[in-house]
Amino acid sequence: MLPSYYEFHNPVKIVSGNKALDNLPSEFETLGAKRPMVITDKGVSGAGLTKIFIDSFASSGMTIGAIFDDVPPDSSSEVVEKITSIFRQNKCDSLVALGGGSVIDTAKGVNILVTENSDDLLEFSGAEMLKKPMKPLVVIPTTSGTGSEVTVVAVISDVKRNLKMAFTSTHLLPDIALLDPRMTLTLPPKMTAATAMDAMSHAVEAYINLQKNPMSDAYAVAAIELIRKNVLKAVSDGNNSEVRLAMANASTMAGIAFSNSMVGVVHALGHAAGGICHIPHGVAMNIFLPFGLEYNMPKCRENIAKLLLPIAGADVYARTPEPRRAEQMIHYLIELRKALNDLCGLPINLKQAGVTEDHLPEIAQAAMNDPSLIMNPREMDVNDALVILKKAFE
Amino acid sequence: MSVQYRPVVPGIKRFKILVIKIIFIVLGRAFQSASQHDEEIKKEISSWRNGFTLLMKVMPDGPYMGLEKRDNMLEFKGSKLKKADLEIYFRNVESAFMIMTPQMGSHQAFAERRMSIKGDLNIATAFTRTLVIVMSTLYPEFIVKRLVKRVPPLTFKRFGLRIWLYTIGILLGR
Ligand SMILES: [Fe+2]
Repeated sequence: MLPSYYEFHNPVKIVSGNKALDNLPSEFETLGAKRPMVITDKGVSGAGLTKIFIDSFASSGMTIGAIFDDVPPDSSSEVVEKITSIFRQNKCDSLVALGGGSVIDTAKGVNILVTENSDDLLEFSGAEMLKKPMKPLVVIPTTSGTGSEVTVVAVISDVKRNLKMAFTSTHLLPDIALLDPRMTLTLPPKMTAATAMDAMSHAVEAYINLQKNPMSDAYAVAAIELIRKNVLKAVSDGNNSEVRLAMANASTMAGIAFSNSMVGVVHALGHAAGGICHIPHGVAMNIFLPFGLEYNMPKCRENIAKLLLPIAGADVYARTPEPRRAEQMIHYLIELRKALNDLCGLPINLKQAGVTEDHLPEIAQAAMNDPSLIMNPREMDVNDALVILKKAFE
Repeated sequence: MSVQYRPVVPGIKRFKILVIKIIFIVLGRAFQSASQHDEEIKKEISSWRNGFTLLMKVMPDGPYMGLEKRDNMLEFKGSKLKKADLEIYFRNVESAFMIMTPQMGSHQAFAERRMSIKGDLNIATAFTRTLVIVMSTLYPEFIVKRLVKRVPPLTFKRFGLRIWLYTIGILLGR
């Protein structure tokens, strides 16, 4: 059924495939940029990816304005300010984010400051606080999960003021998402699995929540199917370019889906657990996803049932009688978690992830103010949150 | 004879704007009153800093409904506030009318982008919950049921609050 009204927006150009990086200089030319600044982290540089990046600019006639490769695992406003001053000193005119979620968020933060000509991110935090079109931003993800290359969101913490700032604005959408399989080949198995389950949670939550629409649905379903077909191979055989490229595409598609229809309780709980117990986001998604679905089932059984097709394949879907499809969907999700747990030890409950039971009430409370709740099908209160957390504990 | 082309000035939706203005006053006073009596709302706003301002605004330039947190309650500021820490926009008069009359709930309005938020998203999330409480205290269940994901329990206290709102709260904001 179509919603009575919806909007869908994705202006990000997708450049995907073998040696995609080599086309970047010409893409910058089209964007009217001549001196891009590269933002990345030590892990990416250490894996030799920055070198591949620089090589792709050889004989292009372009200069790389500066390379900053010291983004910490959690993007902070201090680092954003530091990079902003380097950007200005080196007279850069555009940005490349080469990395995972933290690097991409950092680049979005830098873009806010250089565009608004400001030094204080806090002024622009919140929804719809940005009015000007930004500098060209190209995102090259080195993990397949966050989807930040196609989302309107950035999260940056302000350590001094002890704040987590969220930014949402259509201006934060990058110009180009560049998916080159070489960029994810070296991602370790456990990280591959965790980020894949983040992508899975984006697609699944986008498909069941209140802002879903036919466009986001199409991306979500396609993403889940690609993940099913490739995730185990990506974890066990990381050097397979084809599989890596498929996962990168799945992650981007899931990103497009949730950027247009938002996420739900799984993310609300995951953000809270991440904030309090420092569980990596993908690990939290893997833990909470089946419980979040089970919780929402009374409100969106039909939608969960439809996801049995992409998550289990046509044969299973056809074989399963309609009344059992929703439960089977969750069953297949749990099977997938087991397989990943066997392959690389990805935690399937909070205890395995190092959370102690006394933290659960605090996590439940923190989840209550997460904006992800607004579009969730079922209105979660703090008692519900605690029930889900206890189920997910062991 | 040559055709004359002139600028077209569209009319003004006087009736709908008037209705929204009246509902904004009712809602504002209900917020002020309920924030002094309802335990849930007190809890939700307890962490907001003193002086925190909140504005409902119909784009592009009004009507407005402002609230300010003072002494652990939400003070109704009428249409005096034009800018606030947290601003909730109605995209146009039609959307505001639909949501305020109330034919559409805030979740659906957010989903259809008829309502949007400027400012702190965590506080906005808490505020949408207080809005649900105020609406469900003001209106009978058969109306509220269509608007919210879960109808808050109409406790004995909240039933008392409903009577209070209709007799004293909305008139005096106490
Ligand atoms: Fe996520």
